[in-house]
Amino acid sequence: MHIALDPRTKLYMILVVSMVVLMTATTPFLWGVRIFMTMVPITLLFIEKKYASAIRFLIFYGVALVLTFFFLSEDSSGILTAILIGYCGIVVQFMPAMITAWYCVRTTKIDEFMSAMQKLHVPDGIAISLAVVMRFFPTIKEEYGSIRDAMKMRGISFGGGNALKMVEYRMIPLLFSCVNIGDELSAAAITRGLDGNVKRTSIVELKLRTADILLMLVFTTVLGIFIYCKYFR
Amino acid sequence: MNSSKLKAKDFITVGIFTAILIVVEFLCGMLGYIHPYIVASYVVMIPLVGAIPMMLFYTKVEKFGMITIMSVLIAIIMFVLGMGYLGAPLIVAAGVIADLIAKSGKYKSFKKTIISYGVFCLWICANYFPVIVTADSYRKDLLDGGYSAEYCDDLFRAINEKTIAVLLILCFVFGCIGAVIGKKVVKKHFEKAGIV
Repeated sequence: MHIALDPRTKLYMILVVSMVVLMTATTPFLWGVRIFMTMVPITLLFIEKKYASAIRFLIFYGVALVLTFFFLSEDSSGILTAILIGYCGIVVQFMPAMITAWYCVRTTKIDEFMSAMQKLHVPDGIAISLAVVMRFFPTIKEEYGSIRDAMKMRGISFGGGNALKMVEYRMIPLLFSCVNIGDELSAAAITRGLDGNVKRTSIVELKLRTADILLMLVFTTVLGIFIYCKYFR
Repeated sequence: MNSSKLKAKDFITVGIFTAILIVVEFLCGMLGYIHPYIVASYVVMIPLVGAIPMMLFYTKVEKFGMITIMSVLIAIIMFVLGMGYLGAPLIVAAGVIADLIAKSGKYKSFKKTIISYGVFCLWICANYFPVIVTADSYRKDLLDGGYSAEYCDDLFRAINEKTIAVLLILCFVFGCIGAVIGKKVVKKHFEKAGIV
C-alpha cells in the first residue's frame, strides 16, 4: 500500500501537533488524545516502509511514557532521577512534534516542498532557505561523523580536556565543509534557474486526495477536542 | 537587475547557517534538562559557541534582509519544535534590529557587527518567554508533565520577571564577547585558507 500525501497536509500536521505539544495534557483523556495523535505519524512511517525508524520512535516514546506514569512523581529527588525526569519530560513532551517533523522531512521531496510553498504563496526567500535547512540536518550529521572518524584515526578524542579546543576542533572543519557544500548547492540552484524572473513551473502536480482531506479532518478534530477539554470544561 | 536584491545564493547561505545555529542551540539545550541553572546559562553558552558560525555568516552578508530571514526561520523552527509562539515576535524583532545595525555599518564595520550580533543573541531570551509571561500555568503544566517540584522551584528562582533584565543584558554582553572571539577564530582559520 502506498499513500502519497500532499506536502500541504504534512505542513498542516506539523502545525497542529506543535500547537498541541504546547498545551500540557492534564487528564487521562487528554493523554489518550495526545498518544493517538503521536501514533498517526508513526503509522504513516510504517506505511512508507520506514520500519527501523518507526520502531525506534515507538520504543523511545513508549519507554518514556511508562517511566513518567509509573515511576516518577513530583516528589522524587536525587540527581539521577532529576536527569531521568528531564529526559523523559523532553521525550514525552516534544517527541510528537519531533516525530511528525522527522516524518515530513524524510518523506517530502524537495520539489514537492517548493511547489507546495509556491501554491501557499510563501515568499521565495523563506521557501528556499527553509528547504535548505530541511535538507541540511542530515548533511551536518554525516559531515560530523566523518570529522569524528578522522579525529579518532589520529588519536584526538577530547582536545586535551580543554573545552575551548573541544569546540574548535569540531566546529572549524564542520564549517569548512558546510561552506563548500553551500557553494556547490548554489551552483546547482543557478543551473536550475532559481534566480530567474519568471514564475517557475513544477514537474509535480499537487492535488489534495481523499487521504489528505481525511487526515486534515482528523487533525482538526483532535485540535478541537484538545482545546475544548482543556479550556472550556 | 537590482544588485541589492537577494539571490538564490544568499538564500542558500542563510539556510545553511541557520541549520548550524539550530544544531548548536539544540546541543546546548539538551544540557538544560540536567539542572535549571543551566537553562539560565544558555545566555552565556549559546552566544559564545554560536559566535563562530555567525561571524563567518556575517562575512558573507552584504545585503539587507539576510539576517531578518534567518530570524524568521529560527522563529518557525522554534515553533515547530514546541517552544511556542510567544517568543516569535521577539526573535524577529531582534533579527530586524540586528540587520539594521549591521546595515548602518554597510556590513563591513567590525564595531557594528559586534553590536549587531549582540542584539541578534537576544533571540535566545525568547525561549524564556513562556516561563515569565505565563508563569503560573506554566509551572502547573511542568508539574503535571512529570517534572519534579525541585526542578520547578529552581527554574523559577533562576528565571522570573526580575532576572530577565539581567539575562537580557548578559545575553548582549556575551554576544559581544563571543563576536570578538568568533572574529579571531574566523581570522585564524578561514581567512588564511582564503574561504572568506
